[in-house]
Amino acid sequence: MTESFKRSAGRKVLSRSSAKELGSVSHLLVDAQERRIAAVVIGRGKKAQLVEWEQLSGFGPDAVMVVDEGALRPPADDRERGATEGKLELVGKRALSEGGTEVGKLDDVTFDTDTGALVELIIGDRRVQAGALMGSGSYAAVLDDSAEPSP
Amino acid sequence: MGVLGWVIVVVIVVVVASVAFVVIRRRRRGGRVIAAKEKG
Amino acid sequence: MRLLMTASQIRGLPVVTVRGGEDVAEVRDVIFSPEAGRLLGVTLNKRGFLAGRSRDVLPAEAIHAIGQDAVMVLDALSLVAPEDAPDDVAHPAVERNVIGDDVLTEGGLSLGKVTDLVLLVGSSGEVVGYQIEKPGGGRGYIPLPAQLAVSGAALVVPNITEEFVKDDLVGLGATVDEFRARLGLS
Repeated sequence: MTESFKRSAGRKVLSRSSAKELGSVSHLLVDAQERRIAAVVIGRGKKAQLVEWEQLSGFGPDAVMVVDEGALRPPADDRERGATEGKLELVGKRALSEGGTEVGKLDDVTFDTDTGALVELIIGDRRVQAGALMGSGSYAAVLDDSAEPSP
Repeated sequence: MGVLGWVIVVVIVVVVASVAFVVIRRRRRGGRVIAAKEKG
Repeated sequence: MRLLMTASQIRGLPVVTVRGGEDVAEVRDVIFSPEAGRLLGVTLNKRGFLAGRSRDVLPAEAIHAIGQDAVMVLDALSLVAPEDAPDDVAHPAVERNVIGDDVLTEGGLSLGKVTDLVLLVGSSGEVVGYQIEKPGGGRGYIPLPAQLAVSGAALVVPNITEEFVKDDLVGLGATVDEFRARLGLS
């Protein structure tokens, strides 16, 4: 099933083993090189925790199910801390072409809920294949030149 | 300290901050276009 | 995508890594070779409103692309310490800043003062010409190779350059080939 980052924000996160509510989705951390979701960020601020995609039993329309509460962990490095602070959030990120031209703003990103693979990047009224994503970070998401609007 | 004293302190702080600001901004401006020296 | 940009438009652009999506520096000075007619590299400032200069420099070989909104590099390793960079870029000859230089023909006529450099950017940086302020006021453009000699005070150009002063970048772009043909080049 295809889901979007915007729609997933705020979704409940539950433990499959205990049915306990663990929090809600605040950000989705992306591995830009592999173009897939690497981890789900739950909660905000100092208490924010991450759970790796592999530790989810399902990303459903009503809840995100984590295999076990023990899969939640605090951020392990600067990059993950940046993610919990929202600096790496793709929604709203400036989109820059690899040629150095601003393409627009990422309004939303869609992904496959079975694999976590990114499907499309939505920029205004344009839908760009996720394959165009070359890298992303705190300043911008860099897209290959196929994403540059025609002159 | 009277009101006048405080006014003077504020003025000094503003002046120092402005000077520091201008100095830092000017130091980083760059914008030069440099022609490399000819070879050989 | 190739487009014409001036050095002043390139100054201040963020240097962004393709893989990391980070703004690792911003452009400070532009260094070019008048003989080769190309960009050699840029010096850098750190990012941030009150941040100072950066010791690192960015040689042209390490630039992935220059565009309207950013200078792209593959990753932060593209920014090199001065000891690892070509001398022209690591220790720029600041006395040879051409901005403000008087543009003089061999015959001794002043065509104006240099106000900017015009480059054709994309994946490489080719210097196309100079932007000048004409003696009577008003902006002009003269094509490269324009100078027989350049110092920090003046550019000496062939006499025929006088016929090739254009009013806009479009005119400049159109005139470069003809100018070079007249000079007996390529």
